[in-house]
Amino acid sequence: MRVLAVLLLASTALLADDGRQILKDAEARHRSRTQEYEGVLTVTSKDGKVRRKSWKSYREGYAGDARQLIRFTDPPEVRGVGFLSVGKKGKSPDQWLYLPSMKRERRIAAQDREASFVGTDFSYEDLDELDESAFEISVEPSETEGGQDCHVLELRPKERSQYERKRVFVRKSDLYVARVDSYRKGQKEPFKRFLALDIATVEGHVAARRLEMRDLGKGSTTVVLLEKLSFDKAQPADRFTLQNLNREGGD
Amino acid sequence: MLLTGEAPLGPARLSLTLRAEEATSKDVGRLEWDPADRDLRRTPLSIREAWVRVPLASGLDVTLGRQTLGWGKTDGYSPADGFLPRDLGNPSADEKLPVWGMRAQGTAGAFRADAFWAVTTTPWRLPILEGRNAPLPVPSAFLVDGAQRPPRDGFGAVRLLASFGNWDVGLWGRAGVRPAPLLVFRLDSVTPVPDGFEIPVDRRFAREQGLGGEVSRVVGGFVVRAELAALFSKDPELGDAILWTLGAERAFGDGTLLVTFAANARPVRVPKALLLDRAFLPGLIAAWTRTEDWGSWRLVWTQALEHGDGLARAEAGWNLTDVWRLTPGLELLYGSSSGPFGARKKGSRATLDVRRSW
Repeated sequence: MRVLAVLLLASTALLADDGRQILKDAEARHRSRTQEYEGVLTVTSKDGKVRRKSWKSYREGYAGDARQLIRFTDPPEVRGVGFLSVGKKGKSPDQWLYLPSMKRERRIAAQDREASFVGTDFSYEDLDELDESAFEISVEPSETEGGQDCHVLELRPKERSQYERKRVFVRKSDLYVARVDSYRKGQKEPFKRFLALDIATVEGHVAARRLEMRDLGKGSTTVVLLEKLSFDKAQPADRFTLQNLNREGGD
Repeated sequence: MLLTGEAPLGPARLSLTLRAEEATSKDVGRLEWDPADRDLRRTPLSIREAWVRVPLASGLDVTLGRQTLGWGKTDGYSPADGFLPRDLGNPSADEKLPVWGMRAQGTAGAFRADAFWAVTTTPWRLPILEGRNAPLPVPSAFLVDGAQRPPRDGFGAVRLLASFGNWDVGLWGRAGVRPAPLLVFRLDSVTPVPDGFEIPVDRRFAREQGLGGEVSRVVGGFVVRAELAALFSKDPELGDAILWTLGAERAFGDGTLLVTFAANARPVRVPKALLLDRAFLPGLIAAWTRTEDWGSWRLVWTQALEHGDGLARAEAGWNLTDVWRLTPGLELLYGSSSGPFGARKKGSRATLDVRRSW
């Protein structure tokens, strides 16, 4: 009996290591120095009402060391709204929102991270880069997503989160994350589903050109089309600073 | 109507916002050249903002022109915003007025520095002093606007901010003309009118120096913030002040609740109501904003604790389409007429704002 328990523990640890290694390998394969794109967003509510928005997104670093700036460009109601996220390996990133109407930034506290990000189906937490060191990881049986055989990993956050766990689908062919189901505490059905679609090679990097976030609770969906997607372009040294976030009319 | 245009010019950025307005009330003045918005009434065509921002080096910008600042880090009361002129005549918002000046902003590591020099004084814009905006406890006595001659010079202010993990700290100093006027009741110029007599009220401007500090920290789901400001003035009516605030902000789903307590630790030499931004101290401000599928709503409750009067504001904005927004609002003044809000109970108002942006 004791031998069985030891074997069980050992295999669980091995699976956890396998899962972490899969994510580490995925990170190593897809790491880019920078990424930028112009996002065209369509937010469709449960009753079919459609809202359109657009933003410019810039990222430097990857996964746990990523720094990200998003600046809304349309519609006029949200034009100039900015979001800055500064990653901390293994921890929740520091995040700020800039509101042109208030002429100042606002820090996003842990509790705020489950709020909707400027009327989309993404929450502030959903914008985090996937950082394997921030999760306990276990491996589940493989499944198919988008016609591709995928590793399925269960991630449980180490820090405070709106989600109890996530199921991450990693394509075996190229280790690209194709789907993330996020579960709230005690729920058997996912609360949100993220899909990476229209996956192609852009400037030598595998990348999705269409992102979908489905709020399965509300029945709404946000689709982001990534236009002018580009990798490894040098970014201005002060792009990912609070000063730049506060620059009116700036990127 | 606001017409805004922004354009890059090489590494610089230009922005121009023009404003056109008309009113059936007397709030809008005659068409005249008043680029700094210094007259009692705003001219129907005015420059809202006109600035150029020039990057001098990485992390160092200079912005020249008419621009709007926001130094306070809270939607509630912040002494750090005390040097900024406000527009109390706007029924849709308690908006900050832009100021002509030069601003330099720099960042290095965890530190940010911000310096601003206002070339001239842009005074607070107050509602017309008559009728329900300026009631008097004396029957048949009416207040009317007198003269307003803001000084030609403005103010200077510097601020240093730093972020360390979950901590944000800041220090600031400022000196120059306080944009909130002091009211001078010209009892020597009382004029008889058919139904009583009119008392003209002039506006004068005091000089003031100030030092302040702020500290905030993320504590679990809260952002907790404290501010302290020491303000000095040789003006006998304005006097010195020690302002302090303590506040907490917390998100609930797609909404944020902010509660701030603010007080002045020094005695005031004139009736408090005349000090505008300090009139309601000690006071409590609670603001709750929330985004919904259909738009957003906002509730703001300001309670003056000395006389138990206050102001409750509510507004809800419906996004009819991506460009049309309908915002009904309500401002309710209540409580003892000895307090700054209760004295203007008849100033309660309902508003309906229709906005199209493109």
